[in-house]
Amino acid sequence: MDHTEITGLLPLKALSRLNGEEARAVDEHLAAGCDECERELASFTEALAAMAIAASGDDGPSDRIWSHLQARLDAARDESQPPRIADHLPWRIEDRSARESSRQRGFAMLGSMAAAVVAIVVTSIFFTSRLRTVTSETSNEIAALNTRIIEVQRNLDATSDRLAALQAKVAHTTDLTLASLDPNARVVRLVALPAAPSAAGTVALSRAQGTAILEVSGLPPTRGDEVYEVWWIGEKQGPLKAGLFEPSSQGATIVSLSPPPEREVVLASAITLEPRGGVEKPSGTMYLKGDFPRP
Amino acid sequence: MAADNRISDEALVSAMAAGEQDALAKLNQRYGRALSAVADRILRDKADAEEVAADVLWQFWREASRFDRSRGSVAAWIMMTARSRAIDRLRARKVREHRGDNSVEPVFTNDPSNEIHSAERRHRVEVALATLNDCERELLRLTYFSDLSQSEITQRTCLPLGTVKSRMRSGLIRLRDALQGSVE
Repeated sequence: MDHTEITGLLPLKALSRLNGEEARAVDEHLAAGCDECERELASFTEALAAMAIAASGDDGPSDRIWSHLQARLDAARDESQPPRIADHLPWRIEDRSARESSRQRGFAMLGSMAAAVVAIVVTSIFFTSRLRTVTSETSNEIAALNTRIIEVQRNLDATSDRLAALQAKVAHTTDLTLASLDPNARVVRLVALPAAPSAAGTVALSRAQGTAILEVSGLPPTRGDEVYEVWWIGEKQGPLKAGLFEPSSQGATIVSLSPPPEREVVLASAITLEPRGGVEKPSGTMYLKGDFPRP
Repeated sequence: MAADNRISDEALVSAMAAGEQDALAKLNQRYGRALSAVADRILRDKADAEEVAADVLWQFWREASRFDRSRGSVAAWIMMTARSRAIDRLRARKVREHRGDNSVEPVFTNDPSNEIHSAERRHRVEVALATLNDCERELLRLTYFSDLSQSEITQRTCLPLGTVKSRMRSGLIRLRDALQGSVE
């Protein structure tokens, strides 16, 4: 797809309404560093945001949202500043010393009266102290529960994100399976080369469905200025671009590839490491290669 | 256009990066209900929508120092994130039960300059949307505020897929151009 075709797809990209092949082409074009398309896409995103903001009513729940945020801010602060239990101790010690000194200064005539007063004071101090301790413990428990609730919410959000990623992966795997099930599909296992001996990959090419899928694992991560490029090796035209990808940090990576030209006989498929944005002909280290059985 | 003396979104983000909670509160006053409204249109669950809005603002609070203005405005970033999170929740079928909550809520007084700005902005968008034909306008809203697939949209609108796509495209281009024209 050329620049003009990509530009025509950008409104649908902003609306998240591109199909797999279109989305891949647009993403690759943007990843290659087209500033004009980046600006164009940003302008559509800004317009949609303005529409969404204007569509919200005058009465809103910003106070309730703030309650959510305040709870998180409090929890974050509590995590960094643990409760100071020792604050209660000096208060008790002072009372005990006061009680001790009152005994020493007691007069015989007022002894029983003083003892009664002391007993009342001690009892009062005991219950006050106990009440403060219980209150403090309850506050700590509430703070701990709030923290726990927020953790659970975060875990749920993380689980939702993982589930969405899994759903996308299942969809890709389904594509791979469907391509493989096509009776005329050509499937080739890619063989690891010395640059990554533990790598493995499979390419399924269905001419009837016009789809091609790659599943690959065990490749080392790329640097910021590098990308893996997939190639068809054609009988007449030699190496032809099939797609770009960066390997997933976890498990296998599944990539939707551009099918080769219809009249070209594909002899093999290969993966090389190239500068970010890709190149027209392979120039970097080859990591995987597999020969297609002759038709 | 009337002079707008309120603090810019970018200044609020800088203050958030410095740990100023007031800036987060202002950003919530400015966009909280819009975030919640977008999420609610997708999720059809107000409690869930408020959580999405809080999640987005909380994420922005934690990552404020990394915000890159050159990649788009604050409003565009948070609205796009809210829509994306709401769709993720919907797809994952994680709609939770609405919790009954009778506790007394804190009352916030909205900044009057915020209200004026919101009214101006809403008027500007309404004028821009009026440049679209009815079909483009409805398609744009249906597409943005739902997770319907394109085939579901064609069924609902009784339009062929090619027409749906071309009108989505022309509607958004027209809206963008009208909004850019109104700023200039």
